[in-house]
Amino acid sequence: MNEATTPVGEPAPMGAAPTTGLAGGETTAPYAKRLRPGIYRRHHYLAVVVFVVATAVLAPMFAESRSTQFLVNLWLVYSITGIGFYWVFGLAGRFAFCQTFMMALGGYMGAWVAQSSLGGGFLVQVALGVVLSAGVATAVGLLVRRAQAFYFAIATIAVAEMGRVFFSKAEWFTGMNGTRTGIPPIRLFGRDYIAESEVFWIFLGGLALVLLLAAVIERSPLRRDAVAARDNALVAAVAGVPTGRAQLTLFVLGSAMGGLSGALMGPWTGTTGDTSFGIELAIGIFLMLLLGGIGSMWGPVVGAAFYVAVPDLLSGFDKYATIVYGALLLVTIILMPEGIVGGLGRLRLRLEGRWRRMRPKGAVDAVG
Amino acid sequence: MEKFVALTASGVAYGAVLALVALGFIVLYKATGIINFAHGDLVGLGAYLAVWVVDDLNLPSVAGYLVALALMAVVGVVMERVVRAPLRDKPVLVVVIATLAMAIVIRGLIALWQGSNPKTLVSPVGNRALHVAGAAIAQQRVVIVVVATVSIAGLILLFQRTSFGRQVRALAADPDTAVLMGVRGTYVAMAAFALSAVFAGLAGILVAPLSAVDLNFGFSLMVTAFAVAVVGGFGSLGGVVVGALVIGLVQQLVGGYLWPEYAGLLPYILMFAVISVRPEGLIVVERSRL
Repeated sequence: MNEATTPVGEPAPMGAAPTTGLAGGETTAPYAKRLRPGIYRRHHYLAVVVFVVATAVLAPMFAESRSTQFLVNLWLVYSITGIGFYWVFGLAGRFAFCQTFMMALGGYMGAWVAQSSLGGGFLVQVALGVVLSAGVATAVGLLVRRAQAFYFAIATIAVAEMGRVFFSKAEWFTGMNGTRTGIPPIRLFGRDYIAESEVFWIFLGGLALVLLLAAVIERSPLRRDAVAARDNALVAAVAGVPTGRAQLTLFVLGSAMGGLSGALMGPWTGTTGDTSFGIELAIGIFLMLLLGGIGSMWGPVVGAAFYVAVPDLLSGFDKYATIVYGALLLVTIILMPEGIVGGLGRLRLRLEGRWRRMRPKGAVDAVG
Repeated sequence: MEKFVALTASGVAYGAVLALVALGFIVLYKATGIINFAHGDLVGLGAYLAVWVVDDLNLPSVAGYLVALALMAVVGVVMERVVRAPLRDKPVLVVVIATLAMAIVIRGLIALWQGSNPKTLVSPVGNRALHVAGAAIAQQRVVIVVVATVSIAGLILLFQRTSFGRQVRALAADPDTAVLMGVRGTYVAMAAFALSAVFAGLAGILVAPLSAVDLNFGFSLMVTAFAVAVVGGFGSLGGVVVGALVIGLVQQLVGGYLWPEYAGLLPYILMFAVISVRPEGLIVVERSRL
């Protein structure tokens, strides 16, 4: 029995395909190239570097007025929380409604630390905000770890509602009427970052770190486990995938990103209030992810840009903004279920396919 | 004693409204497998429509309410066409997100149409109160309990005794087989959406005279109704009614006596506790959806 199962029991792990392919020599090289799993072909880190450099160069050129700079910063912060939600909802498939609660939690914690006798620098505030939201997410995730689909959604709605009531009552933590004002500005390495154009660099740095983490996750077994658990929990569990652990880890990491973006917003705007993390933003985060594309870590970044830009494009039609958001979400789901990034990917595949068909057959494999 | 009577009365009335809201989305859930996150906004829409029909069209109140409910049925059918019909082949989760989008659209349309100032709906029985054991009970609460009891009894009869009810139950038990056996899924879905919207509207109209009608009016009712569904079991109508009364009474009595400031938290704590201990709800019904 043992001898019989050994070759089957030890199949080449997923990462082994390119190794054999690369060692295969000249004749098999084009073939091996095609056999490489996508994970090795996609240059995640390179993409992050290109994105950060491009944003660093283009954003200051594009954003001339103060209000545009504000929108760019808002985009960076929303991208952070959006990527966190991508892990929770996109990868782990957890229907969580508490991302804005996590943002508020991180924001209040940062503000509380900044204004308490503890003091602590900007980094300490942000770190404690992240730690608190991750801690609460761990507790929530562990308590309702067995809840599936809608029950998880309902449990997280309960968490968000409990948070809302708590934030409005616990004025020692959240300030007068649930709003903390006068939060000191970002101070890092002996320098204040007050102007929008200065804050931009801090936020871009934060987003760059989050994107790097996202790239690590994108290439990690954690992603594979979570996707397997999302697509078919029973089969994944039978196959030995630690489904619960993968989902919990991504839920905690994603919520921590919510806390991070909340904690960044306080010192930037000077206030932290429950109103900035209301139901509009909760639905907005769904919109960012679905509009941008649920299948890619770049989806929420593109979606957040859209979400931030829409009110600006619609200026003068402010009162229609909610309807536009809702209609946009509906149209996206019906016509473009893969979002903008997914749609672009499909377009690329189609163009490549056409291009390949135009070329002589021998040349096709060499291009890969 | 007066306090106890008053709190019990408002607990029962609140529970009756919760039962209407919860039954509304459970009917839809049984027929289509969709949890409608726009249900809360449908509750609000029902109340706004009633205010509009009574105040602006000057219809007598009860006739006006019936007109508002008829409009709600139309809204339900429209919603089926917009949200469910184009997404029939997609996973249910996608449809659920679409209902979320619909919730924002409805809310936005209400804001555009009625503005964001709170409205009031005058009760047909006015502000009169009954006096029981020294406690004053608003007659509107009695109306709520009576109307809700009649509607719920009607719904249960509809489910147990009619062809429509059998079809919905068949879809809930096994959608594929039911469709193969000739149940017309689309028609049943449209009817369920309409029925669900009417129940939402009815709940909105009944509870509106007790508070101001604003944009967030339906949302907390919907979330509390989720708690009801979790406590009462997603599958059984009877369980939902019991769950609604339990939550209504717990919130009023425990909240009223022990913890008034945080009374609003109780349903959420209960809901979260139930899900963490029994992840499939308190009463698990065999062979129902989910």
